[in-house]
Amino acid sequence: MTEKLHPIIEKAGREFADGKLERREFLRLAVLLGVAAPAAYSMVGLAAPALAQGAPKKGGIVRIGMRVQDISSPHTYSWIESANSARQVLDYLTVTGIDNVTRPSLVEKWEASPDLKTWTLHLRKDVTWRKGRKFTADDAVWNLKRVLDDKTGSSVVGLLKGFILTEYDGGEKDAKGAPRKSVKLWDANAIQKVDDFTIKLNGNSANLSIPESLFHYPLLICSPEDGGKFGVGSDGTGAFELVEHEVGKRSVFAANKKAYWGGGPYIDRYEIIDLGDDAAAQVSALASKQVDMIYQGAISTLPTVEKLPHVQVNSVATGYTAVARTHPIKPFDDKRVRQALRYATDNDAVLKGALRGLGKPGEHHHVAPVHPEYADIGYLKQDIAKAKALLAEAGYPNGIDVTIDARPQPDWELLAVQIMVEQWKEAGIRCKINVMPSAQYWANWTKVPFGFTTWAHRPLGTMILGLAYRTGAAWNEANWSNAEFDKLLTEAEGYLDVEKRRAVMAKLERIMLDDGPAVVPVWRAVFNYSDKKIKGYKIHPSIYIDAKDMWIDA
Amino acid sequence: MTEIIHDIGRPRAAPGLGLAGDAHVGLLRQVLNILTRSPLATVGASILLAWSLLALLAPWVSPYPPNRIDVALVADPYPSAAHWLGVDHLGRDILSRLIWGARTVLTVAPIAVLGAVALGVFLGLVSGYRGGFIDTVIMRIGDTLLAFPKIILYLIIIAKFGASAFNIIAVITLSSAPIIARIVRGVTLDVKNRDYVAAARMRGESALFIMFVEILPNARGPLIVDFFLRLGYTTIAIGVLGFLGVGLPPPDPDWGGMVKEAYGMIFVWPHMTIIPALAISSLVIGANFLATGLREASLDG
Amino acid sequence: MLRYSAKQLLNMALTLFAVSFLVFALNELSPGDVARKILGPYASESQVDHLTVQMGLDRPAIVRYFEYMGKALTGDFGDSIVFRMPVADLMFDRLGNTLLLAAISFAVIVPLSVVLGVLAGMRERGWFDRTISVFSSMCASIPEFAMGVFLLGIFVVWLGWLPGTSPLRSDSGWAIWMQFVLPVLVVTFYDAGYLIAMVRSSMVEVMRQPYIRTALLKGMSFNRVVSRHALRNALITPFTVILLQLNYLVSGLVVVETLFAYPGFGRMMLEAALAKDIAVIEAGTLIAVSVTMLTQLFGDLGYMALDPRIRV
Repeated sequence: MTEKLHPIIEKAGREFADGKLERREFLRLAVLLGVAAPAAYSMVGLAAPALAQGAPKKGGIVRIGMRVQDISSPHTYSWIESANSARQVLDYLTVTGIDNVTRPSLVEKWEASPDLKTWTLHLRKDVTWRKGRKFTADDAVWNLKRVLDDKTGSSVVGLLKGFILTEYDGGEKDAKGAPRKSVKLWDANAIQKVDDFTIKLNGNSANLSIPESLFHYPLLICSPEDGGKFGVGSDGTGAFELVEHEVGKRSVFAANKKAYWGGGPYIDRYEIIDLGDDAAAQVSALASKQVDMIYQGAISTLPTVEKLPHVQVNSVATGYTAVARTHPIKPFDDKRVRQALRYATDNDAVLKGALRGLGKPGEHHHVAPVHPEYADIGYLKQDIAKAKALLAEAGYPNGIDVTIDARPQPDWELLAVQIMVEQWKEAGIRCKINVMPSAQYWANWTKVPFGFTTWAHRPLGTMILGLAYRTGAAWNEANWSNAEFDKLLTEAEGYLDVEKRRAVMAKLERIMLDDGPAVVPVWRAVFNYSDKKIKGYKIHPSIYIDAKDMWIDA
Repeated sequence: MTEIIHDIGRPRAAPGLGLAGDAHVGLLRQVLNILTRSPLATVGASILLAWSLLALLAPWVSPYPPNRIDVALVADPYPSAAHWLGVDHLGRDILSRLIWGARTVLTVAPIAVLGAVALGVFLGLVSGYRGGFIDTVIMRIGDTLLAFPKIILYLIIIAKFGASAFNIIAVITLSSAPIIARIVRGVTLDVKNRDYVAAARMRGESALFIMFVEILPNARGPLIVDFFLRLGYTTIAIGVLGFLGVGLPPPDPDWGGMVKEAYGMIFVWPHMTIIPALAISSLVIGANFLATGLREASLDG
Repeated sequence: MLRYSAKQLLNMALTLFAVSFLVFALNELSPGDVARKILGPYASESQVDHLTVQMGLDRPAIVRYFEYMGKALTGDFGDSIVFRMPVADLMFDRLGNTLLLAAISFAVIVPLSVVLGVLAGMRERGWFDRTISVFSSMCASIPEFAMGVFLLGIFVVWLGWLPGTSPLRSDSGWAIWMQFVLPVLVVTFYDAGYLIAMVRSSMVEVMRQPYIRTALLKGMSFNRVVSRHALRNALITPFTVILLQLNYLVSGLVVVETLFAYPGFGRMMLEAALAKDIAVIEAGTLIAVSVTMLTQLFGDLGYMALDPRIRV
């Protein structure tokens, strides 16, 4: 290392040496603060993971079964499937790998100021757009300004709001006619072009995870000449060109003639086939080799796919889950009833039955073992007698009658609900299930009194608790409020030091077990299916799929 | 869904829908008579009776609670001494779910059909007997409903109001009533000017009495045959809704839903799909056989 | 006949108007959050608001209805929110696919059921009649989804002879005609079961007529009686019914299309209904209703032409 290390790394390095910091978290921290990934791996005495599976062969087609959506506006994508289409043509500034470590992409290297307010991004100098122009800082600045523009409507705004944007009253109204705060860059010089290949992000407050945020899936780098639109023939710095696209049917990507700056691609064509939402039709297509991959597996098809000799199941542990959460209204206004719900649940059985064991049992506090600040406060075992006693104490000696709202997709959720409902029945919690189509569920998810809601993976435990359980948060679907919890959470968010955060996290987790509104039955592994002839592919925890790494071993 | 065709066919397109004979002979005796004469009707009635008995006695004959989950059993889900028809993907006993599921389908389908008959009979009688403006309005509304392809009507309504037993019953009632009204209206128009109806009117009987006591019995034959045919189609319709994922909500067993839940696994655990599919088929076959037998016997006079 | 047709066409227009209003009203009674559906669960609240205003969904329903109908009269059915394309284009494409499947199925079902139905009804309660009756009754009693699942298990997984889905593309390793085999087979089993029974019962009725008995008593050969006298009369009633199959084949194929991922009209309607894609539901329902009413009209006209006793 010839360059000077960021002060936080030096401190973290000491903590790591003292055994206070886990390897994974040190790795993440070091890389976020500008140490190259291979160097960071060697600092903690690990070998960087390799994807290589023999020498890649050229040629062939890969077909994947995935929904083919409208992909015309990359910066406002709200579905992973859309991003998984466009990412074959467009690149990101950074890339977070399957090991949760963020690496360079169009940004070759980055540096953070000691106060974490200023980030300097150095762009690669050898990248050209397919149509021939050189990729420069102007392109990157244009994209960053566009996603942060209020009028674009990108979800990147939510991610970087505190760092670089300020709120003001621009006279805007929301759909119900209520006044809405607009946002703008806090300073005219917030996104600064230093030279043709260097950008500075001058923030208003500290932010550690800028490189991770740059990989937020709508932050695809488009050519300014396309004006933020994307479609057949659109320019890109990626390995493929979109040559055909029909929503609901299929997309076709052809490999560029010119070699890709990042290596690959190996296959000639990549096709996305829309097979609908029916999981069984997807497996039929896989069985008769009409597709080589399925974007995401379903529990109902797993037993079949395991029997298909030419197909392999790819899976990875994540912080994805779904939580059964209550509103603080009768009978759930009494925390003993909420506790009873947790004691009545057998998480191991839910995991086994609903996910066929793919994942880990949950611990009801919504902080996953994959989160760096996770504190192991012990596993709450099913205890029917205790659940009954708690119900009786709360004034329900004969049990309670409730209804839970759930949705049919993904299929494991309905299985989990059915299993829990049977378990609860033993404790005297008689629960009916109301299944709504997904569209209807998402229209009401914060309003239903008792519901089972999907939560995606978030890299930090504090992020998920802040989104879902802080008093008044937009996504606090449980309408839950606990002053002590809010105070501790704010405290935890203030610590960069993972050990300090973990100590507070243990308290937060205990509050969740004591007073919290939710049952968190499992951490699910995400999984999908691919033909064994496809090499070079590993499943990403967010199921991001890059065709440029794939090759076919016929 | 053949029901669509069946519904749209005019009365004249369905030949010989009539139990012949004297309206005054006891209905039960007439039915028994036909059953003993037609082997097809006997087989059909036996199947329906067997399922009805199982449904009625579900709490006593079902070997396990239908929703009891035992995940450990999924390792070997095939039929065994402990589970005669095996267990499903959550380790629930398939036989018990079939028996309790029979309860569901044999409640929902007959109620839906009876609802349709009640509504259809009333509207048909009023329409045919009163004639004029009322007739035009009722038939116009009926035609509009019939113009909807059924499955589309089901999808629109259930997607809006949610899938519950009540909504399924309502939508089937609503979509089947117009065709029954047509049958009854046809019969009413045919007999309302006969002597005995005129006589009743002379006696000063109320319109309601004349419609239900004097006219309705003439439509009894076609209605009975239609009831069993419709029962079969309704069973299929409930199965189809379950299969499309807009059927009765879990966890209570619903045959169509059982097929839906398990059919992704047909290649490894075929019994989970095939057994409920066979159950639906058998019930529909029973209803169809009975209807065919009744019609045949009535044609013989 | 001309007057009859004109009257029926007017009726049709009125019904279509009633249907369009009914569908719109049903969708407004419990309006889903359309913008949320398009953007998915992870979109932020401000993204949802943004789109709601952009799509004009914050305006009163009645305004939107008349705006929609006004445009529909000029042939503009709006854009689908699920498929993100003009409804007219989408509809054209999906309807074409479904009609293709329907035409092939029709070509198999009609000759099959006429031949089997006539042969069975010709000698009522003979062994052939009994066999065909039971067979057709069983076929019509096995729901399409059950039949589809059985056939999938046998031909796709066990034998591996046929493709499991029918995306109608030849570059998926299977010839297009092979992709039609299973869907057509499922439709045929189910629908032919019903048609055979119709043709049979009509044939039985005709064979019982006095003039047939007389002809036989006069010593005319059985085959001659059947072909000269019975056949024409026996096919009048089924003619209407056969025409009405077209309805079923347009909108009733939801199950088959879902099962085999066939890009057809029925599957499109299923997805649209679940997603409250109002533009698609409206246009699709209007098309389906028109098809129903037109086939009915043609059925009536054909019936009149075939059977001189009927006058309207």
